[in-house]
Amino acid sequence: MSARGLLNPSRRRIALSVVGVVLGLALAATGLFQRRGPPRQTAVPPGYAALVNGRGVLMSDFISETQTETEKPFGETTAAERARVLRQMIDEELLVQRALALDLPETATEVRTALADAVDAQAAAPVLAEQPTEAALFAYYQKHRARYESYGSMQLRDLVLHVGGFQNADQTFSQADADAIEAVYQLRSGASVEHVAEHFGLVDSGREGRGAELDFAAKLHLGSQLYEIAQRMSTGQVSDPIAASDGVHVLVMEVRRAPAVEDFPTARAQVYSDYRQALVRQAERANLGILRGHAQILVTPGLSE
Amino acid sequence: VSIPTELRSAAGARPARRRGRFHRETLFAVVLLVAIGGGLAVRARLHREQLAYRLLAELPDAAAQDPGLRRFAASVAKPIFAEHCAACHGVDMRGNPAVGAPDLTDGVWLWGDGSVYDIERIILYGVRAGISNTRDVDDMPAYGLKGTFAYQGVPGFEGRIVGGAALDSGEVWALVQYLLKINHRPYQGEAASIGERLSRQGSTSCRDCHAPDLKGVSDYGAPNLTINVWNNGGTPQDLYNSIYFGRHRMMPAWQDVLTLEQIRALAVYIHSASHGGRS
Repeated sequence: MSARGLLNPSRRRIALSVVGVVLGLALAATGLFQRRGPPRQTAVPPGYAALVNGRGVLMSDFISETQTETEKPFGETTAAERARVLRQMIDEELLVQRALALDLPETATEVRTALADAVDAQAAAPVLAEQPTEAALFAYYQKHRARYESYGSMQLRDLVLHVGGFQNADQTFSQADADAIEAVYQLRSGASVEHVAEHFGLVDSGREGRGAELDFAAKLHLGSQLYEIAQRMSTGQVSDPIAASDGVHVLVMEVRRAPAVEDFPTARAQVYSDYRQALVRQAERANLGILRGHAQILVTPGLSE
Repeated sequence: VSIPTELRSAAGARPARRRGRFHRETLFAVVLLVAIGGGLAVRARLHREQLAYRLLAELPDAAAQDPGLRRFAASVAKPIFAEHCAACHGVDMRGNPAVGAPDLTDGVWLWGDGSVYDIERIILYGVRAGISNTRDVDDMPAYGLKGTFAYQGVPGFEGRIVGGAALDSGEVWALVQYLLKINHRPYQGEAASIGERLSRQGSTSCRDCHAPDLKGVSDYGAPNLTINVWNNGGTPQDLYNSIYFGRHRMMPAWQDVLTLEQIRALAVYIHSASHGGRS
């Protein structure tokens, strides 16, 4: 077309249209046909080492696993080492997929426990990052002072007058009770335990431990009935006669250290531990609250949770 | 003077034809511009897809070697960093001691060696995020609070923490003085000597995690104590608090929040920032 032809308006319109279309197509085509364009049919998307039934094995995980397995930087691993690790990871992915197909989270106790623990751990992670201040710890201590009671201990004699054929004793319960009352009187008057025991035929029950015992151990040895009385006694005190199935007991408390609430500095280490545990439980409960809020839970008639 | 009819009509039609031609040419110009604009948009989009593909297709550290990919990663990462990361690490990436968020520009790394791969792993799985693969070996213990766990006398019964804290307040201050000394800051000589002895004791065992030379162990996330870089603040009181109350800092895992492309872009961007904008 000559320059004169372009001056013709109708030809100029056609020429401009052609130029515009060609230019637009050319620009688009340069993008479409550039040499390093993303493949249209990529089997494995970038960032993944493999796809297993559509589930990706992350390249980052593959590198990490290879380095761990070979104890070498990824760049120094051989093709054979990488292939071995990748095979293991694909196998693992297949097994995990099989586990899901078999519905193991619903049927295998270990899997359920592991899943529940993992969710709890995830819920607890942010709250554990909270740094407790001294004031927060002290407030927690004040609120839960009863928890920081130290164990008491006791060293005592448990004397018994057997009755009714027990260990060949031939006295009646009333005789034993009367003797025990007299024995208690003498003990409280300052007579020695050995003297009184010999005089009235009192013997060690064998229930008490040797030396001082912590309260929970004394309770196990004495039994609930005698322990309830013993734990209220103080050092040097003699109990009233106590009727039991094997005879009449008299407790002589030699040394008693009653339980006491530890002061804050003493208890602080335990407070710190308890405080963090409380935060974890709180986070777990909150998480469950959210889950319950979004769940439909039906309970069979007659049952409640 | 009378004008012939044919001449009158020809004179009146000329401006109308000009207007019509003007409109048509404007329309063609618009079509032309739209075609060019559309072409450019398609080209830009395809170019972006190519860069996104290459960013992920490369191994992590190789991606950071390409200036074009670094620029692309920065363009992707900047708004994501502002939205998700800046709250803790700061808009300028220089960290926040109040929450223990480290400075990402100083080239000092708690976990790993600061490679794109290591940064990416941390973004993917977080630190102490409560999931598998997260970076979580141990906390900085609270030596002013941490007692000795023991069974009080009887095996098989519930134990309690007894024996008080591993370090008292004075001992913690002594350790602080020792830290000041090895970082070439003003310190109290006698207390620093006590602190040095304490740092070697089995019960406090600073060197178990921070290495015998106290230069840190990145496998544990135990920082280098000799370069005066402190994620939780470096004043004597800050150091005291770290030893006395311990530290348990966490970073969330972003694997289910961000795409792989976004995570890789962030890793390259942060890596680049830690190298002064280069890699």
